[in-house]
Amino acid sequence: MVAALGETTGAGQLERLRNKMLASSSGRRILRTRPTLSTETIDLNYLRSLSPATFGNKYVSWLDAAGVSPDTRTAVHYVDDPELAYVMRRYRETHDFFHTLTDLPVTVPAEVALKWFEWVQTGLPMTGLSAVFGPLRLNSQERQLLRQSLIPWAVQCGSTCQDLMCVEWEKMWEWELSRVREELGIWPAPNNFEESSRVEA
Amino acid sequence: MLGLSYRSSTFTQTLIEKYAYRSRTLATLRNIPLQNQFVNAYDVIILGGGVAGAALAASLVSSPLMKAKKIALVEAMDLSRVQQWTPTSGQYSNRVVSLTPASRTFLEDIGVWDRLFIDRIRPYTNMQVWDGISDARIEFDTSIFSKTHQNVSEPPAIAYMAENVNLQYGIMKRIRAAQESGQQFDIIDNTKVQRVFAQGKDGEKEDAIDLSAWPSLELSNGQTISGQLLIGADGANSPVRAYADIQSLGWDYDRQGVVATLQLDPATQNVTAWQRFLPTGPIAILPLDHGISSMVWTTTPAIAAALKSIPEQDFCALVNVAIRSNPADVQYLCQQIQKSEHGLDLQDEYSWRQMAQNESKTSEEIASREDRLPPHVIGVQSGTRASFPLRLRNSERYVADRIALVGDAAHTIHPLAGQGLNQGLRDVQVLSNVLTNGVKHGEDLGNIHLLSQYASNRYARNLVMLSACDKIHRLYSTEFGPMVWARSLGLRGVNAFGYLKSEIMKYAMGIEDVKSKITPSRERFVNIDRL
Ligand SMILES: Cc1cc2nc3c(=O)[nH]c(=O)nc-3n(C[C@H](O)[C@H](O)[C@H](O)COP(=O)(O)OP(=O)(O)OC[C@H]3O[C@@H](n4cnc5c(N)ncnc54)[C@H](O)[C@@H]3O)c2cc1C
Repeated sequence: MVAALGETTGAGQLERLRNKMLASSSGRRILRTRPTLSTETIDLNYLRSLSPATFGNKYVSWLDAAGVSPDTRTAVHYVDDPELAYVMRRYRETHDFFHTLTDLPVTVPAEVALKWFEWVQTGLPMTGLSAVFGPLRLNSQERQLLRQSLIPWAVQCGSTCQDLMCVEWEKMWEWELSRVREELGIWPAPNNFEESSRVEA
Repeated sequence: MLGLSYRSSTFTQTLIEKYAYRSRTLATLRNIPLQNQFVNAYDVIILGGGVAGAALAASLVSSPLMKAKKIALVEAMDLSRVQQWTPTSGQYSNRVVSLTPASRTFLEDIGVWDRLFIDRIRPYTNMQVWDGISDARIEFDTSIFSKTHQNVSEPPAIAYMAENVNLQYGIMKRIRAAQESGQQFDIIDNTKVQRVFAQGKDGEKEDAIDLSAWPSLELSNGQTISGQLLIGADGANSPVRAYADIQSLGWDYDRQGVVATLQLDPATQNVTAWQRFLPTGPIAILPLDHGISSMVWTTTPAIAAALKSIPEQDFCALVNVAIRSNPADVQYLCQQIQKSEHGLDLQDEYSWRQMAQNESKTSEEIASREDRLPPHVIGVQSGTRASFPLRLRNSERYVADRIALVGDAAHTIHPLAGQGLNQGLRDVQVLSNVLTNGVKHGEDLGNIHLLSQYASNRYARNLVMLSACDKIHRLYSTEFGPMVWARSLGLRGVNAFGYLKSEIMKYAMGIEDVKSKITPSRERFVNIDRL
């Protein structure tokens, strides 16, 4: 009984992401070529050389400011199917772009808002769990900020923007950030919180 | 009994007038053959020489009681082409049906089965139906009958695949044989019925018989014929039904059934009927011969149009996708083919998805997956791609005064369970029994009370089948998680539960209604029925 449920819902979440990718031309290209994002595949110095308004330059500036690298991500375990494992990996590897697109810094409320955004986007359960339990670590002011502006933004923007699993980010380095946002239907999160409680990405 | 006494000439005209419609047939009225009295009057007119109408004709002429009856079959198409049909081996028509064992028995009884090209009829004893979303599967295999019951030696067929034209061929041959042995039977083919109407009172009034209430047909050859009983076997848009002012209730499925004759990988055995439920509808691959199967793919009208127009190779790749790939993949590719320039290599897309699906599987796992799938499609016989609109219809009544409806004229069903014509043949069997009984008792064949016996036997049964197939269609049209889960659980449950499965199987095989009063029960069924 439980096994039957799992087949159609649980592992189903990753399959659902994969199926959404199968339903779009760009998603299929990504699944076919399985591009990865790391310092081996992205030339960070090239990105630094791009004009400051570009998506590539904004992204590398965000990496530098946050002190993180595209390589500092946990590898995907426990997923047997190579294609589904790749989907999981892609999902993790593209996470940092969301910061660039949404203007959300690496703070607890910002990460929680981003989790909400991703949850609405993907429906992946682990994102959902952290979105719900994340607020436990917040003070009341931060909680209020989340409830009143960040979460409403995340739900609205996450449900109306393009499917971000199907975006070929690698093709957009030289685009201006505003154009990328326009293309994907994303607008920055309300930017009215303190950058007090920094967390590790 | 009554019939006999009416034949005596002592009866007065008044009595004759009084009982004219109730108690006897025209031909026996004054012991003069009908055609000598009224060239254009018949005891029974069947409009529609499709399989249902032609089978009814064959069934009527196979009863000695009908010998004195004057019967006509009117059909718009040229039936001589059916009679001269000479099949080419290895080539199959795209119009095929899956016939239940009950339908086979009936065709045997009326002397049609032996007149078919029997090597073109393919029995199957295994059927696999699975859910495209969850992969839950149910397998029917009649070897469970032969294993558990000593009196059944070989596994009985679940059904027989037959071309419609083969059935029509055998039926016409049967009718010819009856004609040759003296049956009064007119085949009026190549003739369209322009109008169905009731004769005015003025016509033949001075004669012994008042034809005023008889339905009449205005034919495209300029003639008019009238019948004591008019049977509408004239298909889904039945003119007879319209004449009788009988409403047809139901709806269109906004779906088309795309049919084609497929060439399959000859390296694999072809003995199973396959059906996969996709969100747009089921796709079925049904065995016709070694390496040849018939396909029915239920899909939206736009996709159906594209499936008919893309190059044959692309079509084959897409059928393989529809059988083997993820429904999301099927959906994407079906969308793309609707564009004039999709720029996709469908064969390549298919190979890639198969590779991705099998990537983490061992070679045993891959082989066992293949065992649960039909052979690969390697070609489509040219000119066999066609599509038909799918609908659900049931007439509010099957009979009216001097009118009876059979086959698609009475009801139209979703083809997902392959029951349409089988139901039609059951109608034919029951109606023909009712009419022969009527003749035996000297009754007026057009009498509504007689005809009602037919309707009361068939109406509820057809309705049950119609709504069962409609429910299945609805159940499988959703991708909504809990529904998929529930239906998969149901399917797996039934699959694991032998008794229930054999009951369903018997129902689908048409073994359900042999106990009915009107249909004489048949030895052949009794065996299986006791299982
Ligand atoms: C895709 C598909 C798959 C199917 N698969 C199966 C299956 O596996 N098993 C099964 O049992 N059934 C199946 N069916 C259903 C089956 O094909 C029909 O139920 C059956 O063919 C109906 O036969 P019929 O004789 O009642 O009507 P029709 O075949 O429609 O015959 C009606 C006849 O009446 C004639 N006619 C109509 N109007 C006039 C007029 N004015 N003048 C003269 N002649 C007229 C027509 O020319 C026609 O020949 C399927 C149907 C479809 C669409």
